[in-house]
Amino acid sequence: MVGSGIKRGTAELAILSVLETGELHGYEIARRIEQQTRGKLRFTLASLYPLLYRMEKRGWVRGEWQIAESGRRRRRYRLTSAGKKKIAPLRAEWSELFQALRQLAKVADA
Amino acid sequence: MPDWEKLVRERLAYLSLERQDENEVIAELADHLEETFESLCREGMSEQEATLRALAQVADWKGLNRKIYLARHQEEIMEPRVRQFWVPGLLGFSLFLAFSTIVESTSFGWYLGGKLWLVSHPLVVSLGRGTPILRFHIESLVLLVVVGAMAAGLSRWEGGTLRTSLLSSVFPSVPFAVVFLIAIPTGLIIVHPISYGVVGQQIVYMALGWVLAPAAALLAGGWLAQQLWGDRNSRQKRSPDYADA
Repeated sequence: MVGSGIKRGTAELAILSVLETGELHGYEIARRIEQQTRGKLRFTLASLYPLLYRMEKRGWVRGEWQIAESGRRRRRYRLTSAGKKKIAPLRAEWSELFQALRQLAKVADA
Repeated sequence: MPDWEKLVRERLAYLSLERQDENEVIAELADHLEETFESLCREGMSEQEATLRALAQVADWKGLNRKIYLARHQEEIMEPRVRQFWVPGLLGFSLFLAFSTIVESTSFGWYLGGKLWLVSHPLVVSLGRGTPILRFHIESLVLLVVVGAMAAGLSRWEGGTLRTSLLSSVFPSVPFAVVFLIAIPTGLIIVHPISYGVVGQQIVYMALGWVLAPAAALLAGGWLAQQLWGDRNSRQKRSPDYADA
């Protein structure tokens, strides 16, 4: 079973990655992640917002209320400079971990 | 279509955020549920079924209350505690150690107008066969008043309450209390065949020389800082606690 720390770490990277393409509101973030991972990663309301608020508190993302064309008031999130700086090291960490796991799997298969 | 804000508000009754903050969270979550609902309706689901499916995204609303509260507040709870208590307290402790070391290793007197007025005297002289750690000098106590005042002043500057600032001023004596009242006596009993009576006597002297007297001096400094500065110089009054990133 994947521990909560690992889940949170991957979730943070997923959010930062989709926000790299531009500003999105919460629902769009969840949809975009689901589409881009072909349904392998899914965020519900309960898993998304506590994480977004925590990331906002850390200064990685920033949410601002905006009025959409439809007249709807929405909170849109964008990456801050601290968030942008966080992406590369996070990706490197995860890539290293997955590489190590693949190597382990190869050894087990051999 | 359901009133999503009302539904969310009912379920996030234990959020305990400030009014504006709470309203924003509720509006945002309601907007998310509404979009989910609309998307499901577009896919051909009935309104009733779509409502249930949208709400099913949250299995534990009480848990969500807690998670959101912690996400929005945790660092605020921790950070002031660090700035208002731990930093001044540990700074005071470092100075306490430095001053004690200097005074312990130096024999000096105070000269005024070319005349020697006061020679450094231990407050608590060596006991029994003489253990250097039992000695504590008057000069140290005077310096500790300054240390206590600095710690309390720093704590107040960071927006600490009266209680926090006084606790941070007296904090340097806590590690000494642990060492001199628990660790050393326990060690003496375990390592040496020393009677409990002798250890008890030593505890009293250690408590006086290394815990109570310094604590009183530190507290006096903390109290002095309160009298001098009060909360007029609190940094919190001039700028918000949290600057947005």
